[in-house]
Amino acid sequence: MASAGNTAATDVAGVAYSDFGHVLAQRERRFATLLLAPAFLALLATTTFPLLFLIYTSAYRMDLSMPFLNGFVGLENYKVLLSDDRFWHSLVVSLVYTISTVILQVIVGLALALFVMNMKRGQGWFRVIAILPVVLSPAVVGMIWRTFMLAPEFGIIDYLAISAGLGSKNWLGDPFLAMVSVVVIHTWQWTPFAFMVLLASLASLPEDIYEAARIDRASAWQRFRRITLPLLRPAIVMVIIMRTMVALTAFAAIFTVTGGGPGTATEILNLYAYRKSFTELSIGYGSALAVALLIVTVIISAILFAIRRGK
Amino acid sequence: MKSFNKPTRRTFLKTSTAAAALIGFGPGILRHARAQEADLGAYKSAKINWRQAEGETITVAVIPASYFENLISLEPQFKALTGIDVRFEKVPPAQIRQKSVIDLTSKTATYATSATDPMYYSLYAANKWVDQLDAYLNDASLTDKNWFNYEDIFAGWRGANSVDGKLYGMPYDGEVTIQVYRKDLYEAKGLKAADTLEDYMKNAAAVHAPDSRVWGAALRGVAGAGQNMYIYPSLFREFGGEWFKGGKLVVNGPEAEAALAYYVDLMRKYAPNAASNWNWPDIADAFSQGTLGSYIDAHSSASVVNNPQKSKVIGKVAYARWPKGPSGKRVSSIWNWGFPINAALSEKKKKATWLFIQWAASAETQARTAHKFAGPTKRSGANRASVWKDPEYVKLLNGFGDEFVKVSMEALQNDTDVDWRPRVPQWPAIGDTMATAIQSALSGQSSIKAALDDAQKRIEPMMRG
Repeated sequence: MASAGNTAATDVAGVAYSDFGHVLAQRERRFATLLLAPAFLALLATTTFPLLFLIYTSAYRMDLSMPFLNGFVGLENYKVLLSDDRFWHSLVVSLVYTISTVILQVIVGLALALFVMNMKRGQGWFRVIAILPVVLSPAVVGMIWRTFMLAPEFGIIDYLAISAGLGSKNWLGDPFLAMVSVVVIHTWQWTPFAFMVLLASLASLPEDIYEAARIDRASAWQRFRRITLPLLRPAIVMVIIMRTMVALTAFAAIFTVTGGGPGTATEILNLYAYRKSFTELSIGYGSALAVALLIVTVIISAILFAIRRGK
Repeated sequence: MKSFNKPTRRTFLKTSTAAAALIGFGPGILRHARAQEADLGAYKSAKINWRQAEGETITVAVIPASYFENLISLEPQFKALTGIDVRFEKVPPAQIRQKSVIDLTSKTATYATSATDPMYYSLYAANKWVDQLDAYLNDASLTDKNWFNYEDIFAGWRGANSVDGKLYGMPYDGEVTIQVYRKDLYEAKGLKAADTLEDYMKNAAAVHAPDSRVWGAALRGVAGAGQNMYIYPSLFREFGGEWFKGGKLVVNGPEAEAALAYYVDLMRKYAPNAASNWNWPDIADAFSQGTLGSYIDAHSSASVVNNPQKSKVIGKVAYARWPKGPSGKRVSSIWNWGFPINAALSEKKKKATWLFIQWAASAETQARTAHKFAGPTKRSGANRASVWKDPEYVKLLNGFGDEFVKVSMEALQNDTDVDWRPRVPQWPAIGDTMATAIQSALSGQSSIKAALDDAQKRIEPMMRG
């Protein structure tokens, strides 16, 4: 305040000018705030508030089946969680599911993108067809796979397996095959996303580098390994980050296809939190599980972002 | 006359407007007329004032099933009788429990009553979410006891919907589990319907011929409190299991292991591979395609295996009670959809709701939604003995095959066991935990003993509170 007064005394014209600018800037800021406020408040109400409420709930015992025992328990839910085998099991299932689907999406997506880049005709059609699974709702995808594709004796996949001499398999009834099935379903649905991003990025690579490489007699593999991959790296990392976050929080497809079964073979953390909260009606513990999932997702994303920035 | 032969512009307009109005409002008018016509005398003989809650509107949640559709179609009659508007909301069975619990816990009183799973009354009663119905039953201004004849409703279902001897939900429609088998296949091998679980396994072995696409038997295998945890409790009780030992809920132990071993054995050896993910409609479909020798499930599935458009086994189906277990007991489910009264309602709405419940559960409405129903799908789960003894109802149901009514009736009266499943407020959690354990044993994810011991370990803290 004192320094402001000082400045005002020494340079009157400058002050008048900067005051005017100041007022304008302030008005503009106010106007901007006003414009931003509705969206910001809506966002606060629909994302931040529920999140804080979730954390708050996780510090309570809230069992709809025994309301007389409800009350503040502090970190008790988290203590129970750390010694809960089913939590650790579901965390492992989540990680296996995420890592395998992301790796498959990147590999298959990249292969498809390279293949389509070299297509002389029908590129447009291929892109349209390839994008179809992405626009389907995961719940619908789950139902289709459960009934049309994987049903023993009647499903298309099972028919192919029988025709190939593998015999009828109980795709969703066997713990290992059920896990493979849900990984394949997720990969099938979301690979087109990786494919589209990588294709766009491939199309923007400079042709002259390849020309130079060809003049230097670099083989196709060398060109791919030394030029394409390094240039695609930012796009690949972006795909990995986005797909990891989605895979960690996947729910609908697994819920409709296996419901976490058989037993708990495909029970990802998300599904366990859902069952605890809404089937078993232990809202407090279910919230603690959801917070645990949030922490895991944040840590993994932070690591991935750090890797991206690091190089 | 002139206008008849040569319609003027005005009469043409008039008649077409009238015709349009009839098309537009016709169904409403007709329905109203039908309600007026319908004989309400059977209800008016009750010595209560049906119109005491006139003008109220209540919302009732039901599941989309034919037995509720029939009731919904009679709603105009109820309106004509009482002046109460009923709005039905159809919620799939998988969601109706969650929606009801959320409504009750938040006390929004959205649903005056909802079709309720008998296993949920302990939870509802512990939280005082619903009213005890005894007070309504004993209030002479609300209920004509002689006319309503509460004792006529099956005792097993009344017991299932009671907590500590107090009724919380009025049974509307229910079912009983029975053996359904292929007469022709059994006769060809000289078999009789199984009397014991041991015989049932032997029969399954005898008719099992997967190469000619006939599997011996199937039970519900898919995980769920109402799926595999619908079949397993019967086996557990038949093997002599008791849910409570010294006041403590115990789900493992020798009887549990023997019961689950039987279940796993039957499913692995004689059921189609896919049956581990089947619910009852899948089983009934497979049976109606002629690919199953037998199954044990709700008597109501008989309408599926006798569907003339789909079934290939009509006339080849026969029925028998649950086979006896080693304990000598036959244990059927006590499943029924009942109607409780939401405690968060206003007094007047509670009265309206009770009138609706009394109307729906009365012998007259039960008959009008069953054999007296005009539409093609009649009900098979009437809630009271007098309806089951009505010759017309018997005739209707015996169309499903040999001894259907006799077997179902015997099962309803002798095999229903109120302690079929552990009736505690924590049931939603226990049911889900058990369903997961059973499925991990069925799929081979864990051994029978390990699955049950793990379930016990998980259930203990839930009960300790």
